[in-house]
Amino acid sequence: MSKPADHKPIVMPPATDLSRRGVLKAGLAASTLGTAALWNSADAADPKVLNYLSWPGNADPSIVGEFEKQYGVKIRIKEYVGGDQMMAVVNQSPPGTFDVVLADAEYMHLLKAADFIEPLDPADYPLKDLWPEFQKFPLHWFDGKLYGVMLDFGYLGLSYNTKAFTPKEVSSYSVMWSEKAKGKVGFFDWYLPSMGCISLSNGNRPPFDLDKAKFEALKKKMFSLKPQASGFYTIADIFSSMTNGRAQLIPGIGEWITLGLRTSGVPVDTIIPEEGGLQYTESLSIVKGTSKRDLARKFIQYSLTPRAQVAMATKVDNRKSIPSMPAWKLLNDTKPQEAKLLRMELKGPNVMDEYKAKKIQLRQLPKQQSIEDWNDLWSQFKSL
Amino acid sequence: MNDIVLQNVPTAAAEPASHRARTAGSQRVLPAVLGLPIFLWQAVFFAAPLVFLIVITFWQVKSFRLEPAFVLDNWERVLLSSPFQRALVHTLTLSCVTTLLALVIAFPAAYTIAFRLPARLRDLAVAALIVPIFSSYMLRIYAWQIVLSPEGLINNLLGRVGIEALPMLGGAFSLQIGLLTLTLPIAVLILVFALSGIDRTLIEAAENLGCRRSRVIAHVMLPAIRPALLLAATTTFLLAFGDYISPLFMTGSKPPTLSILVVDTVKSGSQWPRASVVGVAMLGVLAAVFGLGRWLGSRGTGKGH
Repeated sequence: MSKPADHKPIVMPPATDLSRRGVLKAGLAASTLGTAALWNSADAADPKVLNYLSWPGNADPSIVGEFEKQYGVKIRIKEYVGGDQMMAVVNQSPPGTFDVVLADAEYMHLLKAADFIEPLDPADYPLKDLWPEFQKFPLHWFDGKLYGVMLDFGYLGLSYNTKAFTPKEVSSYSVMWSEKAKGKVGFFDWYLPSMGCISLSNGNRPPFDLDKAKFEALKKKMFSLKPQASGFYTIADIFSSMTNGRAQLIPGIGEWITLGLRTSGVPVDTIIPEEGGLQYTESLSIVKGTSKRDLARKFIQYSLTPRAQVAMATKVDNRKSIPSMPAWKLLNDTKPQEAKLLRMELKGPNVMDEYKAKKIQLRQLPKQQSIEDWNDLWSQFKSL
Repeated sequence: MNDIVLQNVPTAAAEPASHRARTAGSQRVLPAVLGLPIFLWQAVFFAAPLVFLIVITFWQVKSFRLEPAFVLDNWERVLLSSPFQRALVHTLTLSCVTTLLALVIAFPAAYTIAFRLPARLRDLAVAALIVPIFSSYMLRIYAWQIVLSPEGLINNLLGRVGIEALPMLGGAFSLQIGLLTLTLPIAVLILVFALSGIDRTLIEAAENLGCRRSRVIAHVMLPAIRPALLLAATTTFLLAFGDYISPLFMTGSKPPTLSILVVDTVKSGSQWPRASVVGVAMLGVLAAVFGLGRWLGSRGTGKGH
């Protein structure tokens, strides 16, 4: 059909919400809701609300109540379990959704690469109060700039049932392949700490920097462990499986689980075997684009005060090691029994010994393979 | 059009034309109005997400971020992977075993409830089957953990009489216990209602003609409740096939089922597209089983005669 000469071109309305792209975006937004858990955007702008992306339990009133009272604000926490889930939330949330993020230190370079966190001024934080080993913690610095401050840490090794195994028997990861351990080795269902310990047992130091041959050897070693497996557990199920005896050895977890169980009368303990253990570190960073930078800075400063650090270390359900030396002193002065239980006594052996003895490797993301490669191997292992 | 319809309705002839038109109109509109909410509900909360689920199987993930694209890589990576194939075989096998066990256990129980119990006890038995359906499945599984664990109730009792602890938790046995906890009450209920509806004169006639009880069951009862048997089997299969809780908490994901694989795939680098491929494959199997059930059912009802 010919077009009349004076015919004005029909101007289509701008792409509406019903366009293909719009539908896809709407779908994407819908899927994001699943991970962002209906986060209230009004809170993002509210100056009296600090939006905190964190592992569960870190906004417990016993830990942050004093801060909230002191500054007349409310901490609103969005909880995640696992670094991959944290990265998914980060990538699917609009800028300004969060003000502070707590991340396992090995994920900090991914947060930086996603342009999600901003550099911190080291002078703002009491870094000199930290144990010397942690003052210039390598996973917090990029191009000479500080991006995170250590909140707490812990060691991962081999946790075991003390009725079934002696400390001598579990002094090496090789016990997991013993006849006695057949069907009794439980696994925390997260590739990173679990494969990290198996890598350590294969003599790899550091355990996450493996060339092709070493990665192949790791695969072989893992697969040989499958007949020993009792199961692959979520955090909640680790507690029950250690309590009811279903799992009697679990690599890649630590006192953050066994200490609480032990104080409840369950016969379990954690050891750093002779092949070494892993350190996890939880670190606080300020999220880029926050309108509450000052409040975020004050929150990190508060979290490093001795009182807040002691509160973090003595959380009933998840005891942790803390990096602040004044906090250790406060703990020893006010709660000597807890200091002993947590192996944070200033006089005598303490949790820093393993670190000083270089038995501890930092938990890091795979260096020479992708996260996907390690995850795929973990899936294969599970399905054997 | 309306007139033609109205002419075909004998009782309409005596009514005023306007009233007839209103009645005919309401006969069409009312069902549509009443049916609209469920249609919209299904469209918004089932059909649309289903389409979206299929669409994102072609998307990709970059730096933990889902991005629209059209790649076949997800299908290839999932369908050809050994974890998926093993999980598929494992899930199909355990669902078939659960279905078989559920039917074998459910029929005698349903028969007893329907034919052997006095009315008051029958009502109590039905209530006892309904109550667990509305209680927390998760709590029931935790309760089984306490009963079956190495230091649990049964092993404690066995220990007292000098018998060594049995490894009950963490294998096929405990998994079936968990799945039957979910499915058995429903299977029994379906069969109880079906058996209760059987024409008792048929049973009496068979017995009067000298049939033994086993023959009555095989040649009168089972054919009479065939659709209910198929419904119980299909429901059991579908519930077992999609269950996440029992495989996770009764066996510790050893080996993973397809439901566990979906969660693992999302946890591993936010691979929603690959998880969606697993989800679509699961829906495909469910549709096939549902179709098979309907086909077997229609053969039994003699459609086409």
